[in-house]
Amino acid sequence: MKKTVYIRFTIILLIIGFMLAVQYNTVQNPETRDTRDIWAIRQELSKETETHSELLSEVYVLDQTILKYGNMVNESAEFALKDTVEQLKKDIGLVEYTGPGLTINVEPSLESIALGQPVEGISPDLLIRLINEINRFKAKDLEVDGKRIIYSSPIRDVNGKTTVNNIPVRNAPFTIKIGTSTFEDAQKMYNQLEASTIGDDFYIDNLKLMIGEPKRNITISPYDQALNNEFLKEVPEGKS
Amino acid sequence: MWLPLLGLILGISLGLLTEIQIPEIYESYLSIAVLAALDTLFGGIRAHLQHVYDDKVFVSGFFFNIGLAAALAFLGVHLGIDLYLAAIFAFGVRLFQNIAVIRRILLTKWSERKNQ
Repeated sequence: MKKTVYIRFTIILLIIGFMLAVQYNTVQNPETRDTRDIWAIRQELSKETETHSELLSEVYVLDQTILKYGNMVNESAEFALKDTVEQLKKDIGLVEYTGPGLTINVEPSLESIALGQPVEGISPDLLIRLINEINRFKAKDLEVDGKRIIYSSPIRDVNGKTTVNNIPVRNAPFTIKIGTSTFEDAQKMYNQLEASTIGDDFYIDNLKLMIGEPKRNITISPYDQALNNEFLKEVPEGKS
Repeated sequence: MWLPLLGLILGISLGLLTEIQIPEIYESYLSIAVLAALDTLFGGIRAHLQHVYDDKVFVSGFFFNIGLAAALAFLGVHLGIDLYLAAIFAFGVRLFQNIAVIRRILLTKWSERKNQ
């Protein structure tokens, strides 16, 4: 009698345990259906391939640096280090940029001139949107109205004036300079910006984007303010 | 004594190892079924301790409660009323009551044994 009771309980507990485990499985890792079609997968694949090639080129650059270090170690390690520092400065925008790129002129729209509307400055939101759009198309260096954009450049409203690097941006017209890695990239950027809908957003604010032809040589001024290192500290000499 | 525990462990490992998943819309049915099953289980344990355990009542109660709870949830979904809450409430209250009774019986047994 008692044994049958235990067997019953065992079977019931087995079922309960199974149900609990199934419930746990379902709650913990819900099955997501792959609803991508072949086109979406292809697009993702191309994106991954692009990342792959970007990584490869980065690896190439780093390999070159290692090679340089290897060559220099006998001659002058200091020179190689200086070279690296120079390269890093160039990458983050502390050095003047000369190379391929294009220029965008932001002007008041013809309608606002014809109707005599006052020209208002560009809003920070719109400027951020434009810069995001430009960065999406892989810009290397960027300058807005003579102010170099670096990784920490703030774009914000100060007393009703849009500022970049805490310096106010002039009312339209002003220029935005974009530096790219190669001339082909500049051409691509030109086409992408022409096709982008960002111009419509400017039009709402009575502004017009005049995207200039890509040029082989443009100059972008360096970032001229002090950089604050919040987290990095200099190691005193003699210690490592 | 250890046989039911073994059953529980076996059931859990079976479920975890097979990695069976149910569609999301049936999740609430399963959770309510689990609750109903637990309610029946504790009811069974209580009945066993009170010496009123009946095989038929226990097994039929197990499947009937699960079916009823699932049916209630199903009806609730189609009527737009959260009827499953009623089942959760009922089972929850009974679960607590049963566990309280089990605890009292065990305490009484324990103190009796101590007095002897």
